[in-house]
Amino acid sequence: MKSRQRAFLLMTIPAVILFFIFHTFPLLQGILYSFTNWRGYGDWDFIGLSNYVNVFKDMRALNAYGFTFQFAIVSTVLVNIFSLLIALGLNANIKFQKTLRAVYFLPNILSILIVGFIFQFIFTIFLPQFSDALGIQALATNILGSPDHAWVGVVIMAVWQATAFNTILYLAGLQTVPEDVYEAAAIDGASPWKRFWKITFPLIAPFFTINMVLALKTFLMVFDHIIALTGGGPGYATESISVLIYRGGFEGGQFGYQSANAVIYFIVIVVLSIIQLRFLQNREVQQ
Amino acid sequence: MRKKKNWLVTSLLIIGTLLIFFPLYLTINIALKTPEEMAKPLLSLPDEWRFQNFLDAIEMTNFFQALSNSFIVTFSVVVLTVLTNSLVSYAIARNMHKKFYKGLFYYFVSAMFVPFPIIMLPLVRQTAIAGMDNLIGLIFLYIVFQLSFNVFIYVGYIKSIPVALEEAAVMDGASSWKIFWKVIFPLLSPMNATVAILTALYAWNDFMLPLVILTDPEDATLPLVQYIFQSEFSTNYNLAFASYLLALLPMIIVYLIAQKWIIGNVTRGAVK
Amino acid sequence: MRLISSLVISLTTAALLVGCSDISSQEAGIVELELFSNKAENIATYESMIERFEEQHPNIRINLYAPPDAETLLRTRLVKNDMPDMLAIAGNALYRELVSVDMLVNYEGEPMLDPIQPAYLQTISDLEGSEKEGIHGVPFAANANTMIYNKVKLKELGEDVPKTWDEFIQVLHKAKAVGEIPIYFTFQDSWTTMPAWNSLAGNLQPKQFAEKKINKEVTFQGTHQEVAEKLLQLKDYGHNRMFGIGYNDGNREFSQGKGVFYSQGNWAIPELIKLNPELDLGVFAMPITNNPSKNKLVSGIDVLFATLKESKHPEEAKQFISFMMEEQQQQQYMEEQSAFSVRKDVLSDDPIMEGIQDNFSEGKISSFPDHFYPAGMGAQNMIQEFLYQGNISKLLKDLDREWDQIQLRY
Repeated sequence: MKSRQRAFLLMTIPAVILFFIFHTFPLLQGILYSFTNWRGYGDWDFIGLSNYVNVFKDMRALNAYGFTFQFAIVSTVLVNIFSLLIALGLNANIKFQKTLRAVYFLPNILSILIVGFIFQFIFTIFLPQFSDALGIQALATNILGSPDHAWVGVVIMAVWQATAFNTILYLAGLQTVPEDVYEAAAIDGASPWKRFWKITFPLIAPFFTINMVLALKTFLMVFDHIIALTGGGPGYATESISVLIYRGGFEGGQFGYQSANAVIYFIVIVVLSIIQLRFLQNREVQQ
Repeated sequence: MRKKKNWLVTSLLIIGTLLIFFPLYLTINIALKTPEEMAKPLLSLPDEWRFQNFLDAIEMTNFFQALSNSFIVTFSVVVLTVLTNSLVSYAIARNMHKKFYKGLFYYFVSAMFVPFPIIMLPLVRQTAIAGMDNLIGLIFLYIVFQLSFNVFIYVGYIKSIPVALEEAAVMDGASSWKIFWKVIFPLLSPMNATVAILTALYAWNDFMLPLVILTDPEDATLPLVQYIFQSEFSTNYNLAFASYLLALLPMIIVYLIAQKWIIGNVTRGAVK
Repeated sequence: MRLISSLVISLTTAALLVGCSDISSQEAGIVELELFSNKAENIATYESMIERFEEQHPNIRINLYAPPDAETLLRTRLVKNDMPDMLAIAGNALYRELVSVDMLVNYEGEPMLDPIQPAYLQTISDLEGSEKEGIHGVPFAANANTMIYNKVKLKELGEDVPKTWDEFIQVLHKAKAVGEIPIYFTFQDSWTTMPAWNSLAGNLQPKQFAEKKINKEVTFQGTHQEVAEKLLQLKDYGHNRMFGIGYNDGNREFSQGKGVFYSQGNWAIPELIKLNPELDLGVFAMPITNNPSKNKLVSGIDVLFATLKESKHPEEAKQFISFMMEEQQQQQYMEEQSAFSVRKDVLSDDPIMEGIQDNFSEGKISSFPDHFYPAGMGAQNMIQEFLYQGNISKLLKDLDREWDQIQLRY
C-alpha cells in the first residue's frame, strides 16, 4: 500500500511544482509588482496602493473596462441566441444533417487572428466597394473607423467565429432530451413555442448555464480580435483590458502599474463568475 | 413511424451556411487574383487563377518554417498533454477522499479563473531569463497551463470508472504505474480524444502566447507569422490572402477528413 | 530519492534541449548581429545595403528584423532582458528612455560622426537631456513632416504652393468647390493624424514645451487651443471615408489621383511612386501662420543607429554603422527612401523635394513635438478620437491629464 501511495505522489508532485513555477509564482510576482513602480527593467520602489488609486483615475483604463464589458455582454447574448437557434435547427428532422453540422462548426477551427484580418478587409475594402456599386450610402463608410460603432464590427466578427462552439454544446444538450417527451407534449397539443419553453429549455438549462459562463469568460479576455481588427482604435474606443495590459505593460514601461490593473481585472472576473454561476444555477433549480 | 423531413428548416440552415462560406469564398477568390483585378467587383471570379500569389507568399513568409514550427508545437503539446495530464488526474481522482489531493484538485481548477494578462508580464520575463523564450518553452507552457481545465474534465471521467477494475490488478501485484498505463489509460481513450482535439485547436490557433513568449522570428508559428508580415503585405491583399489561406489550410484539411470524429469528441466533452 | 532524481533528470533534459538550440544557431567563425528596425518602408533598401556589407565582411551576418508594432515588441524584449545587438529607431521617447537607463553604447568622438551636420548631433543631445553626456545614437537619416501635393491637380486649380495659412485654406476651399478631395486623410491609422498635428504644434507651441510641461509651468489647455482649432479646420477639407481608411490604402488612393494634398512625411513618397511611377509630386511645409518668414518645417531624426551595451560584438556593430554612414549608402538611402541625408556633403537633388530645400538651407526647421512627449502617452489616439468628435476642450484636458498620469506612475 505504501508503494502505491508513493507512486501517486510521484505522479502529482512534479506537476504541482511545475504548475507552481509557471503559473502561481508569476501570479504572486504580478501581485507583488502591482505595489511597485517597476518599468519591467532597472530599479524599483514600493509605492503602496498608489497604482490602484491611479487605475481608477485613468480614463484609458476605465474606457477599456467599459468597452470590454459592453462587448462581452452583447457578444455572449448574441452567440447564445444564434447558437441555440442553429442547434435547434440542426436537431430537427432535417436533410443533410451531418454535413450542415460540419459546416456550422467550421469557424471554430480557424485562427481568430486570421479570421480577424479577413473581416478587417471586409469592413474596410469590401463593404465600401460593394455599397458604392449598389449605391447604398449607409454602408459606404467603414464602421471600424467610427469610435461609436467600431465595437459592433468586433462583435460581428466574434459572433461569427464563436457561435460554432456553443452550437455544438447546445446540440449535445438537445440530444440528451428523450424523444418521447416531445411526443407526449405533441399529443397534449402544445404549440412548438410553448413546447420549447416548457419542456426543451428546462431540460437543457445546464447547458445554457455553462454556455453563458464560458462565452462570457472568453469574451472578457478578448485580445486576438482586437489586434486583427482595430488595434484598439479609433482613439481607445475598442481597446480591451487584455490589449491595454499588453500595450501599456510593455510599450509604456508601466509594468507595475499594469500589474495593478491586472489584479483588479482578476478580482472582477472571479466575482463575476461567482455571481453568474449562482444566479444561473438558482434559475435552474426553480424551473 | 418515420417522420417527414423538415424542408423549411433545412433550407433556412442552408441559407445560413452562406454566412459561413462568404468570408472563405472571399479569401480564396482574392488569393487567386492579381492586384490589378482588385479594382473590379471583389466577388467576381478571377479572370485566371494566379497561383503565383501562393508561391510568393511561401517565399516571403518562409511558410514551411512556420508550418513546421506550428506542427512541432501542436504535436508535442497534444501528445505530452494527454500523457501527463491524464496521469496527474488519475492520481487525484483516486485519492479525492484525502485532503491533500482534494486540495490539489481545487488548486488546479481554481487557476481557470486567473486571467492570462495578470501572469503575462512576470511570465515573459521569467521564461526569457530561464532561456525558454523559444519553441520548447512554448510547448512546456501549453502543457502546464492546460492542466487546470484537463484535470477538471479527466477527474470527473475517471471517477466514473469502477475501482473494482484496478483492484484485481493490485491483487496480482501490479504497480500503480502499470495499472494506469495498462488498465486506466486505454479506458480513457474517448476522453483522451476530446482533450487531444481541444488542445490541438488551441495550440495551433493561439496567437497571444507565441506573441509574448517567442523572441527569435525563426520560431514564429503560423498565426504569428501573419501578424509579423502585416506591414510587408501592405496593400497587396492578394499576397496577404494567399498567405492567410495557406495558414488556414492545414487545419481545414484535417477537419474535412476527420470532421465526424472531431465533432463527436467535442460533443462528448460537452456532455461530461 | 526517486522524486529528486526524476526532477533532476527532467530539468537537465530541458536545459540540454535549450542549450542545443543555442549552439545550432551559431556557425563556426561567423558573427551574427541582430538589427531591429521599426520601419517597414525601408526593408528592401536595408537589405541591399546589408548584402553589400556582408560581401565586404564575410565573417559578419546581419539579421534584419522589422516587425509591426515594433516599439511594443522591442519593449517586450526589454522586459525579457534579451535585446537585439543593434537598433534602427527614430529619435523619440523610446530612444530617450534607453539612454536614460544607460543601455546604449556611447559613440562620442568616433570618426564616423565627423561628416554629420552639427544640427542633427544637437538634436540627439536635446533628446538625451541635459543630464546625459555623449552621443548614444548615430543619426542616419532625417525626415520631414511635409504636405505632399499632386502637381497636376494643383495646376488644374490654377493655384501655386500656398505661403500662408489663409492662402492654404483658400486653396483647400477652391478644391472642395470644384468637387476634388482637398486633403486625402487616412485617419483609420491613428498615427497619420500626427503629421498635421506636429506641423501645427511645432510652429505654434511655446519653446521648450515638454520641459515646461514636466515642471508644470504650462498646460496643453493653456497653449494648444490654436493647434486644435486649426487641425479641426483642416478636417473639413477631408473626405467622407477618411476615418475608415488607413495609411496603406490611402497611399494607393492618393497615388491614383484621389485628393490634391496628402498630409504625410517624406517617408510616404517612395510608396506613392512605387504605386504609380507616373505620379507628379511636390512637397512643401504646411504654412501654419500668416507670416511666411516664420513658418517652419518640422524635421527630425527618422533613423538613428544604436548599439546595445550588452551586445557581444560591439566592434562588428561599429563596423556596420560606419559602413552605413558612408557616402554611397547615404546616397542610396536618400534616393530610394526620399529621405534626407545627415551628411554635410550629401545633398538631395530630388526634384520632388525642391519645395522644402530652402527650409533646410535657411535653417527654418523645428523638431517633432511628439518626440518629446512621454512614452506610452498615446497622443495619437486622443487626437484621432478628437478629430472624430470635434471636442477641443476635451482633447486638451485629456492630453494634460494623460501626461500627468504617466508622470505619477514612476
